[in-house]
Amino acid sequence: MILFVAMLLVAIVMLYPFWVMIYNSLMTEAQFLAGKGFSLGSWKALTSVIPVGQEVLSSTIICTASILIILLIGLPAGFAFAKLRFRLSTVVFLAIVSAMMVPLQAILMPEFVNVTKLGLTSGYVGAVLVYSALGTPFSVFLFTTYFRGVPDELIEAGIVDGLGYFGVLWRLVLPIAVPAIATVTVLQFIQIWDDLLVGLLFIQNTSERPITVGLAVLSAGRTTSIPQLMAGSFISAVPAMLVYLGFQRYLVKGLTMGIDR
Amino acid sequence: MPTPPARRRLTLSRRRQLAGVVFALPAILLVLGLIAIPIGQAVYYSMTQWDGVTATWIGPSTWNQALHNPTLWTALRNNALLLLSVPFALGLPLGIAVLLHQRVAGWRIFRSIYFLPTAISWVVLGLVAQRFFAYQGTLNSLIHFLGFSRSNTNMLGYESTALSALGITFIFTMIGTNTMLFLTGLATLDTSLEEAARIDGAGRWRIFRSITLPHLRRFIQLAFVMTVIALFSALFSLIFVMTGGGPGYATTTMEFLIYQTGFNQGDFGTAALYGLILFVLTAIVGVVQLRLIGSEE
Repeated sequence: MILFVAMLLVAIVMLYPFWVMIYNSLMTEAQFLAGKGFSLGSWKALTSVIPVGQEVLSSTIICTASILIILLIGLPAGFAFAKLRFRLSTVVFLAIVSAMMVPLQAILMPEFVNVTKLGLTSGYVGAVLVYSALGTPFSVFLFTTYFRGVPDELIEAGIVDGLGYFGVLWRLVLPIAVPAIATVTVLQFIQIWDDLLVGLLFIQNTSERPITVGLAVLSAGRTTSIPQLMAGSFISAVPAMLVYLGFQRYLVKGLTMGIDR
Repeated sequence: MPTPPARRRLTLSRRRQLAGVVFALPAILLVLGLIAIPIGQAVYYSMTQWDGVTATWIGPSTWNQALHNPTLWTALRNNALLLLSVPFALGLPLGIAVLLHQRVAGWRIFRSIYFLPTAISWVVLGLVAQRFFAYQGTLNSLIHFLGFSRSNTNMLGYESTALSALGITFIFTMIGTNTMLFLTGLATLDTSLEEAARIDGAGRWRIFRSITLPHLRRFIQLAFVMTVIALFSALFSLIFVMTGGGPGYATTTMEFLIYQTGFNQGDFGTAALYGLILFVLTAIVGVVQLRLIGSEE
């Protein structure tokens, strides 16, 4: 019984952000300032203050493109490091994995200038490239660890059958990599969808910025209507939450990678 | 089957190696171009006067100058002070995980609820935290409800309390991830061991101290490293929406100082230098983590 009450208390604390978002969004600006009354006014006028549709679309495009690149680059590399060892491959692998430890802020200035000089900050390309580079080391690490468990005989059999290495990768390795693909996708989705810094600096056009940037920039301006900010926040939280609830176990797997097996 | 001649075996292995290089090349190029080379550039630019367009070489004296900047030390001190939140960011999730592990009716639903905030952007959690600490916010209502004080405070508004407010928010944002880690650790615990200890008359606390905690050691280490890395490199969103680094420099951490120096003051050279300092700090933590992962193999 005491346990149950304790768990209920923790649940209240963890649900608090959702309560704040929903409660505050169900008021107009005037009702919020007065501290009483409820209405759907802020939701109805939301798109005139925050271009939610556009921003969610931007977030979706950036997420999808980055994750596709991270998978397309990380999966073959992981296969190579695990099964197609070449000279110095261990050293190269370790170098890539240690890149996981480099926070973007540490290389922010040169990165920003490089990407800007290449003219990639107009449009999504710059942000997508940066996200891909930041996500690749983890994806290489995860795929390599995963493919180490694949028997060599499978690959040899494919080669003997004349599939070639691309054929082996496409027909034999890819189908068994689905759990690893799911783990990378879910982790990267939440990471990129929730991120602020890259979208803030590497996307020049206001009309192309993702929802987190839209919310953060709006909140920095002091005249913002808080109910609408909360409504926008709630909308931005929904996709990540759904992915999270649907794929919880892949997330746990990714987090405990390398320690739990 | 007769063994193939040596030359054929060689070409086979050659071909395999070639395929390996081709498959790994895109990853190598991407990491080289967008992570490794910028580190080298940062070293060069840290010794220049740089506004993003033209860089004038100055030399290593820029380091001497930067290290005498009191703002840098304020940022480092803020990072150090925030480390005080780490025990809470580990202890609370440990307690919650143990609670969940008791498997009380409905624990699966509770688990989902506890992890839910982990999916939300720290931008959003920062906005919510702002509501929590605001004058008409939840914290003041709680204080009034408990009858402690009639006055209103906003912790984010004062130099003396803003950093604590940031630390509290950070603890909240880490609860989900760390609970998840510990719960995974607890799931791998052999329950018959606890059972045996209970039969031998060991109390709950004793079982926790002597069996559960040692078993969780690696998970606690991993959570510790992840929490510290987040503290050094993931607070940007929270700071950006909650305080903008203020009041004064009260909540400016290393990573935020890099952003401010570069993009508010336009001093790209010094910002690159600060970036390298952050790089060294996280590298130290990173080496610890690699050893944790490596020692398993």
